[in-house]
Amino acid sequence: MSQELIDAITDMREDDALEITDALLESGADPLAVLDDCRQAMEIIGQRFEEGDCFVPELILAGEMLKEISAKVKPLIQEQTGSTEKLGKIVFGTVEGDIHDIAKDIVAFMLDINGFEVYDLGVDVPAATFVAKVQETGATIVGLSGFLTLAYDPMKETVAALKAADLTDVKVMIGGGQIDDQIRVYTGADAYGRDAMTAVSLAKQWSGAA
Amino acid sequence: MKIIGEKINGTRKRVAQAITERDTDFIQSLAQKQTEAGATWLDVNAGTHPSREADDLIWLVETIQAVVDTPLCLDSANPKALAEAAKAVNKTPMINSINGEPERLEGILPLVVEHGCQVIALAMGGKKMPENTEARVDIIHQVIAATRAAGIPDKSIYVDPLLMTVSTNIQSGMIACDTIRTLHQSYPEVHFTLGLSNISFGLPARSYINRAFLTLAMAAGLDSAILDPLDRELRAAILAAELVLGRDRHCLNYTRAFRAGVFDSTKN
Repeated sequence: MSQELIDAITDMREDDALEITDALLESGADPLAVLDDCRQAMEIIGQRFEEGDCFVPELILAGEMLKEISAKVKPLIQEQTGSTEKLGKIVFGTVEGDIHDIAKDIVAFMLDINGFEVYDLGVDVPAATFVAKVQETGATIVGLSGFLTLAYDPMKETVAALKAADLTDVKVMIGGGQIDDQIRVYTGADAYGRDAMTAVSLAKQWSGAA
Repeated sequence: MKIIGEKINGTRKRVAQAITERDTDFIQSLAQKQTEAGATWLDVNAGTHPSREADDLIWLVETIQAVVDTPLCLDSANPKALAEAAKAVNKTPMINSINGEPERLEGILPLVVEHGCQVIALAMGGKKMPENTEARVDIIHQVIAATRAAGIPDKSIYVDPLLMTVSTNIQSGMIACDTIRTLHQSYPEVHFTLGLSNISFGLPARSYINRAFLTLAMAAGLDSAILDPLDRELRAAILAAELVLGRDRHCLNYTRAFRAGVFDSTKN
């Protein structure tokens, strides 16, 4: 573990974080350990965000740093293992009629760096597209995002469409905006989450990795 | 500077609860306080599920009108709910909002014409958020072509440049100002408004950002905003901005506000 790298990321020193990553990888550090440092740094940032001590632009910068670092690390991991072992497959997107993507992007990214294969369908995604992607990929988890109250019905329709397509084993999580347990019941989803870390722990639980 | 009071909005938790519980006192107190603080319109957003939205809007309208006669700004994307609520309104309401979507224009413009409403026009096309100034300006050209074709005078239009947070795009404030400036030149009669607090979403100490932006946007041509009229420092900032922009003849509003205690931090 490199405390230096974790500190650089959590202090939002982008240039330092990238330089430290390069130095670590050149000196033969385990690329998986570097990714784990990123994960730890992101957890700290997520916690600070929850406590009101870190803010949205910093989350975005942290996300950018992580993308840059994973781009450096990923080819090395693939070299090592031949393929990257994934915890599970998740189909993800903002439901039809809604176009909000910031929170969705953060959650999709967090799932990705926590070891899930994420198929991000983008925004304004019709129920049929979710169903088709689950059938194509064999994903076992679907994440539905929506910020508007108008998103509740499309969420409900998507859950129903999955059931109608006999994908009854697929677990569905919803999130975004005002979503609470009442909305979860209304849509028929299996769980809801208020932040990215909840999505990660739900996905781990459902895929037996927790 | 005309203020659209933002507080009666069902996407806020406490208001949502008041709507569900039919808490008349809570809603009426928000209406009275915002009116006393000088709101020109009171925004009314039920924020509820489409199947309940019309009923909730009508309840809000009737509840508010029982205590104040401030004009209302009916806030919904749902033409049916808007049409129902418009029937319950005593004074000609403002409609919030139309955008470049043909279905929304078709659904809402007849209502605007029928009641002679003022209407907020979002600089947003269909499903995608416009990324830059040009995309926003293009959409508003289309919207104004449609409102003109429907016989709605330009002075009834309040263009909302779709202010986004600087959290996710550091140019958001400048995009909104440039959109206002450009459209103000093309359509001198058209008004401008925006949801002020959007600019600072995701950041701490938001009031400083809101105030700095409001002053710059007013310089670009903003003449209305959806904001919290109970924020005294914001009101003071607006008065000061109007003054330095040369919109307060003989500084009368400013000096009157001073005598009324608006700048006195010990008063509340």
